[in-house]
Amino acid sequence: MTHFLVMTLFALLVAIVFGAVGRDTARGRVLYGVKVFIEFVGVGFMLAWLLYWIPN
Amino acid sequence: MSNERVVQQGLKQSPLLICLVALLIPGAGHLILKRVVRSLLMGGAVLLMFIIGIALGGHIYGVNNAGTGLLSYVFGFCNVGNGLLYGFSFLSGIGVEDQAVRPTSEYGNVFLMVSGLLNYILAMDAYDIASGRKH
Repeated sequence: MTHFLVMTLFALLVAIVFGAVGRDTARGRVLYGVKVFIEFVGVGFMLAWLLYWIPN
Repeated sequence: MSNERVVQQGLKQSPLLICLVALLIPGAGHLILKRVVRSLLMGGAVLLMFIIGIALGGHIYGVNNAGTGLLSYVFGFCNVGNGLLYGFSFLSGIGVEDQAVRPTSEYGNVFLMVSGLLNYILAMDAYDIASGRKH
């Protein structure tokens, strides 16, 4: 659980910066930030799932 | 015209100087450009990432990493992006020692590197705003 929390925190902080820098309007920034956050966490889950099937 | 106003106008007219200030202090460039909310959000995010990185057991890489491999120079470049935080950490000895025995030390290293890289982005964004390319 700690690893997941750290990953989520990482995604959140990076999404804040990307969102604030990436778009020009307030709405665009929020939407882009949320999108980046979801993508970070989603890709994290996907990689974790893929690695689960790779034998040690 | 007060001295403070003259200094502020001088900073406004110099995107390079604003970029340099932004590089040294996370969020300061946007603060000078009166983007207060963005400054607090982004500067706070970079600062928090740096603090979490140290708390997780990460360590900063030096600029000169003779004998530790070429990749260490890349890591050092990333860490230098933290500006004064890097200098403070280096001088005070906080986060300088490698704590590889801690299970979260690699996470900490990544947090420290990414906070530096994000600060590079902040500095470039401040440069763009100061030079009128972006609002």
